[in-house]
Amino acid sequence: MKFLNSKNIQTLIIIAAVAGLLFLALSGYLTPVFNLSVNPLISFQSWLSVRYLSARDFMTTPGDVTVLREQNALLESQLTQLQTQLIVMEERLGEAQVCFALLDFGRTNPQYNYIAATVIGREISPFLQYIIIDRGSNHGVMYGMPVVTQQGLVGRVDAVIAGAARVKLITDSTSVVNIRLQSAGIEAQLVGSLTGDVSLDMIPLDTVVELGDVVLTSGLGGNFPPNIFVGQVLSTQRRENALFQTASVQPIVDFESINAVLVISDFEAVDITPLIPGP
Amino acid sequence: MLSHLVSALAFVVFFILQTTIFSQTRLVSGTADIILLFLAAWSLQEQVKNSWVWTVISGVLVSLVSAMPFFTPLIGYLGVVGISKGLQRRVWRTPLLAMLIVVLVGTFFQQTVYVLALIITGAPISWLESLDRVILPSALLNLIFSLPIYAIAKDLAGRISPQEVEV
Repeated sequence: MKFLNSKNIQTLIIIAAVAGLLFLALSGYLTPVFNLSVNPLISFQSWLSVRYLSARDFMTTPGDVTVLREQNALLESQLTQLQTQLIVMEERLGEAQVCFALLDFGRTNPQYNYIAATVIGREISPFLQYIIIDRGSNHGVMYGMPVVTQQGLVGRVDAVIAGAARVKLITDSTSVVNIRLQSAGIEAQLVGSLTGDVSLDMIPLDTVVELGDVVLTSGLGGNFPPNIFVGQVLSTQRRENALFQTASVQPIVDFESINAVLVISDFEAVDITPLIPGP
Repeated sequence: MLSHLVSALAFVVFFILQTTIFSQTRLVSGTADIILLFLAAWSLQEQVKNSWVWTVISGVLVSLVSAMPFFTPLIGYLGVVGISKGLQRRVWRTPLLAMLIVVLVGTFFQQTVYVLALIITGAPISWLESLDRVILPSALLNLIFSLPIYAIAKDLAGRISPQEVEV
């Protein structure tokens, strides 16, 4: 009966109590009790942990901040360099695209020799539509040479110096280009204006001009080679008692954003002025 | 000597800016003429004595580059500086007002000379269209740019030869 002494009984009670608690806990009966007792503990532990980590970061941060600042400065420097490189590359890409387009035009029109030139300026007077290119007589550019882009006709060389030339655009108010309407099969004159718009003149009244008809150079007059794309017909106008009808033309070349052009170097303009009878 | 050097450098800078940037910045069909603005502002400065010389030089050089006939840019610039010198003596107490008047009147004078020259050479342009599409927008642009150009010219003139202050 020594087994049933007070000490052993106490141990058995404790074991039974623990077992009972375990049983109750495992069976879920003690969940409300745990919630009440454990959650405050967890909250306190979280609060303490956050404070501790913050304090630890505060104590160890100065070294990290210095390193991070150095790295940040280095990265910013690299970023600036890369942005600069990106801008340079974009500029080169733009130039390359223009060059490829001009080259493509040269390949598709192999009957001519070309001198590539960059547009470096524009006419000072707002009444005139001229551009200045960076190729002159030193590069073989001569007065009267036609100037084109990969899209179509731009104009002709109006004045030349050693290293540059002035080009009169077809949009200039004094510009007249002899053209041919592809579908209508008739010839007319393309004239510029003060505002830079171009229109067709001298179209016979009995001709039906379709909207969108392609305008090409005719080669008449000897100023421009034939079959260079100029634009498309936008609208036609007929006036009573007029001898000819007129038409508005949408030029294929965007004259506001020309960056590079091709000068047709082996086309010799013919001066027919002496053949025109005087008054 | 320094004044000539500054005038030459300023002309080169303004000429390059004009042909590359300002000639492409259009309002309707008008553009600002910053060479005209600089000449007007330069000639309004009391300390500057060489404005006529540089007006002639600028006018000749611009005439050589421009496709305008009969040296019309030279005539235009001479007219503008003439107006400027005339006004300098009358409204010298309010130079900014003088600048605005010179720019407005000078622009109309210059553009009128241009239109006349073009009509004489046979260009098919009309007065009404020129006024509506070119002259009025150009005058507006010139007025807008006249104040910063005047400030630049005044600053340059002040650095070359500071004005004497009577005590």
